[in-house]
Amino acid sequence: MNWFYLSSPSTFYRFAGWLTPWFFALAALLTAAGLYYGFIVAPTDAQQGEVYRVIFIHVPAAWMSMFLYFVMAAYAAASLTFNTRLAAMMARAVAPTGALFTFVALWTGAFWGRPTWGTYWAWDARMTSELVLLFLYFGFIALANAFDDPRRGDRAAALLALIGLVNLPIIYFSVHWWNTLHQGSTVKLTGTSMHVAMLTAMLLMVFAFWMYAIGAALTRVRSIILERERRTRWVRAL
Amino acid sequence: MNHGFYLWMSYGATALALAIEIAMLVAKRAKSRRLIEEERDLEAQD
Amino acid sequence: MMAAATLGSWPGGFAWAFARDFRLAWRSPGETVLVIAFFVLVASLFPLGVGADMRLLERIGPGVIWVCALLAAFLSLPTMFSSDYGDGSLEQMALSSHPMVGWVSGKIAAHWIMTGLPLTVLSPLLALQYGLEADTLLVLAAALAIGTPVLSLLGAACSALTLGARGGGMLLALLALPLFVPILIFGAGAAEAQAAGLSPSPHLSLLGAALIVAGMGLPSAVSLAIRIALD
Repeated sequence: MNWFYLSSPSTFYRFAGWLTPWFFALAALLTAAGLYYGFIVAPTDAQQGEVYRVIFIHVPAAWMSMFLYFVMAAYAAASLTFNTRLAAMMARAVAPTGALFTFVALWTGAFWGRPTWGTYWAWDARMTSELVLLFLYFGFIALANAFDDPRRGDRAAALLALIGLVNLPIIYFSVHWWNTLHQGSTVKLTGTSMHVAMLTAMLLMVFAFWMYAIGAALTRVRSIILERERRTRWVRAL
Repeated sequence: MNHGFYLWMSYGATALALAIEIAMLVAKRAKSRRLIEEERDLEAQD
Repeated sequence: MMAAATLGSWPGGFAWAFARDFRLAWRSPGETVLVIAFFVLVASLFPLGVGADMRLLERIGPGVIWVCALLAAFLSLPTMFSSDYGDGSLEQMALSSHPMVGWVSGKIAAHWIMTGLPLTVLSPLLALQYGLEADTLLVLAAALAIGTPVLSLLGAACSALTLGARGGGMLLALLALPLFVPILIFGAGAAEAQAAGLSPSPHLSLLGAALIVAGMGLPSAVSLAIRIALD
């Protein structure tokens, strides 16, 4: 995704428009394959029964939530370094999808925790860090939209994303430290080695979410481009 | 609560969240279209 | 008012900004008093709310005091740069010959002197309300001494980023409080470790490391944020 930022908004708009349907199609196919493997092929878990199948949403969502933050921060860094509009628009386009996956990770984590740990919420390292990550996304979106001048919002939010990026491992580490001192109960939610079908299903879902995220971000950035560039000739000619 | 409840709540919420995001994308698209129309109208007035 | 140096320097800028902000706060101490009063008030409210069970209070004491310190530090953030931004002084300072990180650091240091330092000094008194032992109390004060400057540094970055933004205090809270989380965890953890008979030095070392890294990196980030605000 990283090489696009060099293009101009008008060429990128057309390019993204051409690409987007393919990403959504891939996402749909991969989801179908992932759910097939997850529900038909993968066997019942010895300890958790059927409910472990939440893992096919929970882990991919959690991975995507972190990955998309890195992507967002990369675009933020590019936008500050090269002072390009498009990189900033891509950062804005990625953020809501990242927040969505963070929410899904938290929600599915809660509904997996209840039958397995006995509680919807536990202050373990991953859940707490994920919650803070959700607030970091919200902060980015709020700050970007808090100014009348969109470029000001671009640059302030980009700097915030980078400060948050440095903090992310620290937040995880601090909560992990705090948790191990208090309880030492970071639970292993799967067996020692995953059944092949389970792993396959999970990886398929990871790619499905990834393709969806690209499709959603490209769709969003096209709207952002239209809105920001609406006074240019090429937009008015559309 | 049997395990079906937790699975449905998880997958259901995910599907709902994706539906909401797609709805928001459609709305954003419509809004940008509307803003372009407004720009055209403003230009036509000149 | 500006220092008469022809060549700007980091220490020159630092000293100038520090002295200026300190003088300004000294002349109108209302805000500093507010911060301290808030700290004391909220810390005193908790025992009233949770009941006088000393064992419970002793367990939650460090955490509660740290949360109060966070909130009190947060109270003074909105005005860190906004009054200078509003009357144009910030722009003047940015145009001065002193490097920006110098006087920005001076401002942040002055902010800490007027908020974090009083909180640190007062914390033993509040800790007594929670029945904390003397050694826990000292560790708590030490942790606050190291951690509150980091809060000032992080808070300064958030404050500079939100200059002139809609959403005011709420936006600032959304930005700052998540970033405060590690300091809270290690700061309260230090005192809790001491109370549990463990060594607080890992916590304090990590806080110290955070202070060094924040002190080296964040003034540049704050400077960039101010530049973004002034453009």
